[in-house]
Amino acid sequence: MAEPVLELVDIRYRYPTGPEALRGLTLSVASGERVGLVGPNGAGKSTLLLALAGFVPAEGHIRVAGHTLARGTAREVRRHLGLVFQDADDQLFMPRVIDDIAFGPVTMGLALDEVQVRVHEALHAVDLEGYETRAPYHLSVGEKRRAALATVLAMRPQILALDEPSANLDPRGRRRLIELLKGLRSTLVVVGHDLDLILEVCQRTVVIDAGRVVADGPSRKILHDRGLLECHGLELPLSVAAAGRPAYL
Amino acid sequence: MLDQFAAAKTPVHRLDPAAKTVATLAVILGTVLVGRERFLPLLPVVIALAAYHAVGRTPIVYTLRRLLVVSPFALAVVVLFPILEPGLAVWTFGLGGWTVEVTAEGLLRAGHLSAKFLLCAWATLLLLGTTRFQDVLQGLTRLRVPRAFVVQLAFLYRYLWILMDEVMRMRQARAARDGGLGPWRVRFRSRVGLVGVLFLRTYDRAERVYWAMAARGFDGTLHAPIQSHMRAKDWLFVAGAVAVGCAVVVWDKAIYG
Repeated sequence: MAEPVLELVDIRYRYPTGPEALRGLTLSVASGERVGLVGPNGAGKSTLLLALAGFVPAEGHIRVAGHTLARGTAREVRRHLGLVFQDADDQLFMPRVIDDIAFGPVTMGLALDEVQVRVHEALHAVDLEGYETRAPYHLSVGEKRRAALATVLAMRPQILALDEPSANLDPRGRRRLIELLKGLRSTLVVVGHDLDLILEVCQRTVVIDAGRVVADGPSRKILHDRGLLECHGLELPLSVAAAGRPAYL
Repeated sequence: MLDQFAAAKTPVHRLDPAAKTVATLAVILGTVLVGRERFLPLLPVVIALAAYHAVGRTPIVYTLRRLLVVSPFALAVVVLFPILEPGLAVWTFGLGGWTVEVTAEGLLRAGHLSAKFLLCAWATLLLLGTTRFQDVLQGLTRLRVPRAFVVQLAFLYRYLWILMDEVMRMRQARAARDGGLGPWRVRFRSRVGLVGVLFLRTYDRAERVYWAMAARGFDGTLHAPIQSHMRAKDWLFVAGAVAVGCAVVVWDKAIYG
C-alpha cells in the first residue's frame, strides 16, 4: 500500500453548544486513493472536513501530506488540502471568476505568470474557459460548483476534499461533475449522500456514524451491503438496487 | 443590476477605471464648491455630464430610475428648507395651530441643493453605468484607497444579492403560511423574528466564507494582480474633468466674488 497522505488518529471534537460530533475517529488514506465518506445527517462528516483544515479545534492526531496539524501549521496543512465547501456561494467570494481562481495561487505567493498558467489550467479542467470575467452570482448552480472546484484545483493540492459535491445539481450537471472527478489524479475524499456518485468515483467507502468509523472497505462491497447501510440511515445506491431487482419486475 | 450597461464598448467604457474615478471626484468637488443659490456656474458640469452620457450611450431611463431611487435621501434634507429659511413669505398655511411660512429664499436654497445633489448623483451613476463594479474596485485599489474599505465594498457587492434572495425566500415562506392576515402584534413579531434569523444566517455565512478564504491561504491581506495602467488618453480625460471642476469654481468666484 502506498504511503498514507492523510492520517487521522482518535479524533474527538465537541461543539461548544453541546453535541459531541467526533468520538475517536481513526482513518488513513493512501496517496492517490479515492475515498467516499458516507453516513447519516449529523454523523460528523462535515465536522471532520473542518477539523482536517484546523477550523474546529479537534483533539487527536491529524497528519496531512506529511504535516502534522498543530497551532502553527494550519496554513501549511491547508496548502496541501483542497477543501471544496457545500455551498459554492461561500467558496466564490470575489467579484469575478478569474479573481476567485487566482486567489489561492496569489496568496501562495506565486509569480503572476505562474498564477495565469494555474488559472487557465483550472478553468480548462472544469470546462469553464471563457468564464474568466463572469460574476459568480450570475452562474448556474452547476457552473458555480465547477468554478468552486477550479478555485481549489489551481492550488494543485495533494488531497481534494469535497463536501456534498452533487447537492442541488441537475442530472446533466451531476454527470459532468462525475466525469470530471473521475479524470482527476489527486487523492480524493468525497463526503455525501450521493452513494451512486461515490460508487462510480471512489474505490473505497468509509461509513461514519455517531462520530466514528463503523465500516471501511471497497465501495463495491460496502455499497452493496443493504443491512449495513440501512442500519446507519442509508440505503442501497439506486444503480445497485435496480440491478438487484428480480427479472419479472 | 447597478452596472448592467457597463459591458458596452464605447470610448468612455474603454477608459481606465482609476481615471474615471478621479474624474468623477473632480467634477463632484467642483459642484459642491459652488456657493449658495448660484445656478449658472453649474452649467459646465451639466454640459460635461450630458456629453459623457451621450458618448457612453447610457440609457436615459436607467439614469432617471436610479436617480429616483436615491432622491428620497436628499428630499429628507431639502424638504425642510422652504419653511426653516427666513425671508420673503410666498405662501402661508396653518398647521394644527401653527402658522407655517414658505419663503422664496428657502425655495431657492432647496432648489439649489437639489440641483447639486442630482448632478453629483448623476456623475456617480455615469461612472457605475460605464465601468464594471469590479473595475471600479480595482481603480480604488490603485488610487491607494485603504484595502479594508475596498474589500468591504467588494463583499457587499458580492453578497448583497444572496442576502436579498434569502430575505425574499423567508418572506415568501412566511406569506405562504400567514397570508398577511392575523393580529398586527403577531405580524410585527414575525417580522422582528425574520430580522433576527437573517442576522444569524448572515453571521453563519460570514464564518463559512472566512473558512473558504482561510482554506486557500488567506492571512488578512488580499493580493490582487493589477492588470491595467493609465495611458495618454486616460490622463487627458482626467485633465479634462479637473478643468471642468476648476472652471466651475473659478466662474463661481469670478461672477459672485
